[in-house]
Amino acid sequence: MAQLIRPTAGCALAWGWFSVLIISALAAPWLPLPYPPGTPDLLHLAAPPSAAAAHWLGTDGQGLDVLTQLLFGARTALLLTLPVAAGATLLGAAIGATAGFWGNRGLRVPLPAALLGLAAAMWAAAVPWLLTGPVVLAAGLACWPRWYRRCPVPLDSLLTGTGTLLDAVPRLVLVTAAAGLGASGRALPLLLLFTTWPETARLVRAQMWRVRVQPFVEAAQAAGLPPLRVWLRHCLPHALIPLKSVFPLSVAGLLGLESTLSFLGIGLPPEVPSWGRMLNAAHSDLGAWWVFVPPFLALASTTLALAYIANKSKHSFNN
Amino acid sequence: MTGAGLGPLAARLLRAGAGVGLLVSVLFLLSRQQARTALLQAEAAGLSAAAHPTEAAEQQDIRRAQLHRLGLDEPLFYAQYVAAAPGQPAHWRWHGRRNQYHRWLRALAHGQLGTSLRSGRPVGELLRAALAVSVPLMGAAATAATLAALLLGQWLAGHPRRTAPLHLALVGLQSIPGFALALALLLLFANPDVFDWFPVDNLGVETVAGLPDGYAVATLGQFVLPVLALTLSALPGLALPLAAALRHELAAPYAVSARAKGNSLRQLLRRHALPNALLPLIAQLADLLPALVAGAAVVETVFGLPGTGRLLAHAAATHDYPVLVAGVLLVGTARLLALLLADAALLLTDPRLRWPS
Repeated sequence: MAQLIRPTAGCALAWGWFSVLIISALAAPWLPLPYPPGTPDLLHLAAPPSAAAAHWLGTDGQGLDVLTQLLFGARTALLLTLPVAAGATLLGAAIGATAGFWGNRGLRVPLPAALLGLAAAMWAAAVPWLLTGPVVLAAGLACWPRWYRRCPVPLDSLLTGTGTLLDAVPRLVLVTAAAGLGASGRALPLLLLFTTWPETARLVRAQMWRVRVQPFVEAAQAAGLPPLRVWLRHCLPHALIPLKSVFPLSVAGLLGLESTLSFLGIGLPPEVPSWGRMLNAAHSDLGAWWVFVPPFLALASTTLALAYIANKSKHSFNN
Repeated sequence: MTGAGLGPLAARLLRAGAGVGLLVSVLFLLSRQQARTALLQAEAAGLSAAAHPTEAAEQQDIRRAQLHRLGLDEPLFYAQYVAAAPGQPAHWRWHGRRNQYHRWLRALAHGQLGTSLRSGRPVGELLRAALAVSVPLMGAAATAATLAALLLGQWLAGHPRRTAPLHLALVGLQSIPGFALALALLLLFANPDVFDWFPVDNLGVETVAGLPDGYAVATLGQFVLPVLALTLSALPGLALPLAAALRHELAAPYAVSARAKGNSLRQLLRRHALPNALLPLIAQLADLLPALVAGAAVVETVFGLPGTGRLLAHAAATHDYPVLVAGVLLVGTARLLALLLADAALLLTDPRLRWPS
């Protein structure tokens, strides 16, 4: 049974802030803002907050309205990080659960099928027949009852090895390098997705490792259920429990990464409003505190709210 | 003696090393492909814009010389799936050792990292100049963060009630991205309008767009704020888990009996709980170095220090591929080193790892 989180003041605050953020991000294009995004007000450059010019939070050095940028920056942040975090969580969960359940020896494939698969892959890669031919021949020979066997697929090593590869350098450096190699702003979500999943995968794998030796799993296997069904119906619901607290943290991490990239002027194209880009504007104009404070507070409180939610849901399933 | 610990350690290092090598190789190949495509596209654009056939031929010669100078006219890899000529069906071709990747590997083995596409200077020289700034910065920040984490962790665990506000402050600090933290420090303490204690001289703001040459020698005063920013961004990640581990140890029966024997809280923390709680912290130090490298990239950009992080970010922004590949290689090597150091430190501090039961 799912345990209800007892509502506390902090919890209400965190969820309240997060829902305000989501609503304002979704509703930003239809809000009655005095200034549209992306059009500078050249009469008011780096103007402090004033009601007279309807710049409620002032403008930055290029004459862009801070309030408009803040709202549209929230839109960018959430519309980028939430789908990427969801995708990375799904991908990581699938990979981690597969690697954790079958391990290196759990999944056994008949040798002829494995060899035929290899040959098909070689054929698809247009490898000359001089190399592909022997593999097909070997597949034929392996059908012979004397040589027939089932060979284990090292799923765990393969999947964790890929994760280790992506972890070899910090995410920021990896994404920076990939962006420098000409990955455009449109490729950024994909890039973030592929660098984010190993964390989730590692967690789910560890949890699956613990779940699959539980008596009820052994009972299900002893009852003769097919492995896929045991995996999906009996193990997965338990292995996915940590995701409740990992998902908010993954969103928070992506938010930090996205704003850092925008601050450095890498990732997103320059015309997309983002909190990181606003902070960059504050960097080039140190006197304008009103450009710095709103995105700073928004970024910090969003991350804090997400960390709080993650912490709460962690404790709710631990007791 | 260390037979039990060395096997897994070597395997782990080998795996991580292979990961770094593979990653950097892929980056190199992609960057070469990208550079060649960019040059060929420029050539096509130039050809269509050229009015005279002689002018076009001249331009083609220039492009060809450029391709040759950058070594881009050779095949990319040992074997490639290419067409012999445009229009013909593609097939696998074996190029032998005359390829860009082999040349790069050989140069790498001789310690040559290539030359920067933008400034024309050797990448090794650029990296060395940048490291002269980054290593003191990161070293100071790592030392300060570790020492502060040791002190704060003991304090947080020893007096949970009195230090609740500090705990909250650390949690809040953890939620601020490094660049925002650095920017806040810059706005507070290097701002003529607030506290003009550590003037940054706008060194970074002015030269971010320029080439990373003409380095100004950073004075000691200029290092205070960057080190502080880096330390503060690394501190919560070290101090909070240490405090949690210490609290866990303090609740253990051995701690209770040590306290009952008349040890003071300080003695209990330092002699009994800390050696046990230190192990997760040491394991974490392996992750600290990459985090510091990533943090330094941002902090250097904010404060305008000509370090490796800024060099890398700048190379990414200007598509300076050799610098980019060498920078990633450097960061990966640093991670390997951190793994090695952390594992060695674990072996030294935890006798249980040396003698398996």
